[in-house]
Amino acid sequence: METSDKKADSASKSRFDVSPMTLAADRWMGRLIRCGGVGVVLAVFGMLGFLIFQIFPLFSGAKVKVAAPIQFPADAVAFGEDEYGEMPFACLADGSIIFQRAQDGSKVLAWAPQLSGRRVTAIRSYPRSGMVLLGLSDGSVEELKVAYHSNFDAVGKRTLEPVVTASEPIQVGQAGSPCLDLWNAKGLSARLIVVQQTVAGKAKLTAVRQTERKGLGGKAKITTSEPFGVGAEVADFERVLLPSTADAVVLIRKSGEVRVYAEAGDNFVFSQSFTPFQGTADHHVAAAGMIFGNVSIVFVNGTGEQQVWSIYPQLQPDGLSQRRWGQIHEGEKLAGAGLGVYAAEGNKCYLAATEGLLQIHNMTTGSLRWEGAAPRFAIRQLAFAGNYDRFTALDVQGVLHRWELVDHHPESSWSAFFGKIWYEGASAPAYTWQSSAGSDEFEAKYSLVPLFYGTVKGTFYALLFALPIALTAAIYVSQFLRPEFRQVVKPVMEIMASLPSVVLGFLAGLWLAPLVDTRIVPLLCAVAVLAPAAIAAGFIWSALPQPWRRQVAPGMEFLWLLPFVVLCGWLAWISGPAIEAFFFTVKDSSSGLPIADIREWWRQSTGASYDSRNSLIVGFVMGFAVIPIVFTIAEDALSNVPNSLVSGSLALGASRWQTVWSVVIPTAISGIVSGVMIGFGRAIGETMIVVMATGNTAVMEANPFSGMRTLSANIAVELPEAAAGHTHYRALFLGACCLFLLTFVINTLAEILRQRLRERYKVV
Amino acid sequence: MSQIMNPPSASRIKVRPSSEREGRKDYISIRDYGFWYGQKKALDAISLDIPERQVVAFIGPSGCGKSTLLRNLNRMNDLVDDVRHEGDITIGGRSIYDAGLEVISLRRRVGMVFQKSNPFPKSIFENVVYALRVVGVRDRSVLDEACETSLRKAALWDEVKDRLDDSALGLSGGQMQRLCIARAIANRPEILLMDEPCSALDPIATGKIEELIHELKDQFTIVIVTHSMQQAARVSDRTAFFYLGKQIEYDTTEKIFMNPSQAQTEAYISGRFG
Ligand SMILES: Nc1ncnc2c1ncn2[C@@H]1O[C@H](COP(=O)(O)OP(=O)(O)O)[C@@H](O)[C@H]1O
Ligand SMILES: [Mg+2]
Repeated sequence: METSDKKADSASKSRFDVSPMTLAADRWMGRLIRCGGVGVVLAVFGMLGFLIFQIFPLFSGAKVKVAAPIQFPADAVAFGEDEYGEMPFACLADGSIIFQRAQDGSKVLAWAPQLSGRRVTAIRSYPRSGMVLLGLSDGSVEELKVAYHSNFDAVGKRTLEPVVTASEPIQVGQAGSPCLDLWNAKGLSARLIVVQQTVAGKAKLTAVRQTERKGLGGKAKITTSEPFGVGAEVADFERVLLPSTADAVVLIRKSGEVRVYAEAGDNFVFSQSFTPFQGTADHHVAAAGMIFGNVSIVFVNGTGEQQVWSIYPQLQPDGLSQRRWGQIHEGEKLAGAGLGVYAAEGNKCYLAATEGLLQIHNMTTGSLRWEGAAPRFAIRQLAFAGNYDRFTALDVQGVLHRWELVDHHPESSWSAFFGKIWYEGASAPAYTWQSSAGSDEFEAKYSLVPLFYGTVKGTFYALLFALPIALTAAIYVSQFLRPEFRQVVKPVMEIMASLPSVVLGFLAGLWLAPLVDTRIVPLLCAVAVLAPAAIAAGFIWSALPQPWRRQVAPGMEFLWLLPFVVLCGWLAWISGPAIEAFFFTVKDSSSGLPIADIREWWRQSTGASYDSRNSLIVGFVMGFAVIPIVFTIAEDALSNVPNSLVSGSLALGASRWQTVWSVVIPTAISGIVSGVMIGFGRAIGETMIVVMATGNTAVMEANPFSGMRTLSANIAVELPEAAAGHTHYRALFLGACCLFLLTFVINTLAEILRQRLRERYKVV
Repeated sequence: MSQIMNPPSASRIKVRPSSEREGRKDYISIRDYGFWYGQKKALDAISLDIPERQVVAFIGPSGCGKSTLLRNLNRMNDLVDDVRHEGDITIGGRSIYDAGLEVISLRRRVGMVFQKSNPFPKSIFENVVYALRVVGVRDRSVLDEACETSLRKAALWDEVKDRLDDSALGLSGGQMQRLCIARAIANRPEILLMDEPCSALDPIATGKIEELIHELKDQFTIVIVTHSMQQAARVSDRTAFFYLGKQIEYDTTEKIFMNPSQAQTEAYISGRFG
């Protein structure tokens, strides 16, 4: 008795106890799921973090470190240096050159010119090319070449050995009169040397041109022209700027007038004059500098106002376009009068010196890269190193100041990526993406705006095509089609969703675009007629007498609809050429005969381009990628509307369509919105189709017959060729980040909308 | 509009005994009616007449075909695939299978309340006026009036008049079912079909609905399916008992409950099977 009681007791205990395994599994699964959730959130934020980490350096400005200065003799008037700045030299007033080691200032070599009785009256040094020009008292010019030889000693230590070679003086100026200043420019085939002298109490410029012609044996033959005068009519010039293309001379007068003399045959003739600060209180040009690339000049006046002028094609009164100088930027106002403008090498930055302050600006974007204290004494000469990692300045006390510069992304700024920028050579400010070109002087253009535009445009056309089809199909299949057919349609759609987009893009670009190119009107007609045909079919159907309609089971009406719509589409297709002939006949530009061609018509009547790989093709094919997704999700949402609601509505005497419209769709709306959003996300991020089915030109036009470049396609196309860490590379990441944010914002908004709708139309 | 809608007060006060209410004796007439779901015969040789403005209850054990018959009265079974019928049903002398008769207009004439309340996920107001919206009534004052009248008839007005724009899904179960009744009568059908309207409700809500049926039979011909014998006895004038798809007995409620002529009926109402 007792034992059986106990047994029952223990049995009941074990029967209601929960096994520790169950509890442990429950706990562990809970943890696992939590880990998964946190992991997803971390992954998303990690991705965003990575993108931000990649793009952060774009917006961080330049960093400059002051290096130890080097003391040269106080009468140093010019300097130069080797590629790495290890052994700078100074030119003294008498033309001798002193090399000192940058490390400790120790003197390495002193070199003196052989002048045979003449004196040095002017010196100009071009540090980057290692050229020093000595203007002599008899008006001639002696060129010195400074070269550095690296030698390796027994232990492999490198030592630099400077070598100075002097060449025969060239008589440039008027003989007997001392050369007071001189300039040199070396272009691809010609070289120009200009000297300034005072003749009869007036300043006078004389120049020679040297042209190099490769002889048969590969030996260069240099011919030096006779000296000729430049700008003889003006004597009150203050500054001379020579573009290194050696094809122009720019004089700046005391009055602030800028006169440009352009090469014309053997001579330089006046071509244009302008006064940058015409409209401001101070006309005087206090400092000016030619920017790398030789088509832009930065002017600064006595109050610190900056202007950038550039040569670009301008429409002349005679209707022709001509390259002339014009203002392209208004720089940020400097703190005081300009003391010097020194251009960087290899990019569009320049250093502007004012009293006590040095600032590095980017000419194109106007952004301030860096500012810092100027040396105490006035600067005689300042030069950037060839790879924009240092700059060096010689002051009037013979002190060589050196700065180390870190600025990996001088051309980047908010305005470069998102603003309208007037690039050199362009006729107007524009949003441009052009990341690479053949020439070294090319300035990369990284505006993301056209890519944004292309993304939105592609998405718009894709959704324009996909949403009506996908949503109406979802409504039809879920509400009207017989279940037998529904069971076929859904899996087929799902297979369609799994079609790789590269296949679709391939079809679009290589098959559809050429096919449609000549048949665009019939195609548009056929597409345009489908919806009206379907509606007409419905009307005809409802007008048929009831007994006829009874013959077709509910859900089988498409047996009548399909042939009707196909017939209408086919009729539209075959009448396309006639429609094209009627509406779109134009005169062929080459033969002068009238031809029916919408492409020509479009070009002539709108002035816009017509590409065979255009937005319509992209929209059409991208629509194919989007339709199955939107369809599947919307169809699920619509099918999940409780049958009791449908019956309830029908029992109240609503027609099937009324039921769908006022009960089924509102109830399923949150699911439909999700479907649309996911389709949107697919279209916005779609890459391969856009890459293959458009010309990928980053144009910004609403024209449906032109292509586009989307943010995603841009990344796909350019990332392989972008150097890691380069501005281009980071700009692509910036594009990725924008895409991420764009979809993030839109999805968030959609989710909020969906929650609202769900709250509103939730079903018990 | 208003002339067709009786003023609410009139309908609430006057409850005449059934014998006094005149009307066609064979308003709804079901003749030799059989019905198949695919191969399965759900109804067999049903013949009964439902008089105008009376309450007729269908009783019988589960699966005997009460709902099937009810749903055929407004052809809701058309929505089911692969169904077939024989015999005929006429309403007011016209066959519901008449080729010239639109199903939609039949359903406007024959309203229906379902077993499980199915308010639309819309406001209370929009639920009630749904049938009017469907026929194209846009005039706000007409809609307002119809809404109030039907809610009053459904004895729901006082409870919801201050929150007509709130979602119908916030109502209690009994309120929802009364809302569905209000919705069904808003466009003034002639016949009201109710398929176990109280099966999911508590006794108090059930009482309210039964009271409501009493009041509504003044204007509507009501066919109610119920599995509760007491309910059938309380609300109906006539009762039909079905068993395995066949009509066993159809007579006045009094007769069925006091003195059934069939042994099966007797056994069922006395609770010996079902
Ligand atoms: N949609 C349907 N398809 C097939 N069979 C059905 C369907 N609805 C009901 N039935 C069958 O018809 C018979 C009668 O059902 P029903 O009329 O719902 O019974 P009741 O309402 O009396 O409980 C049952 O056997 C049921 O299984
Ligand atoms: Mg039932």
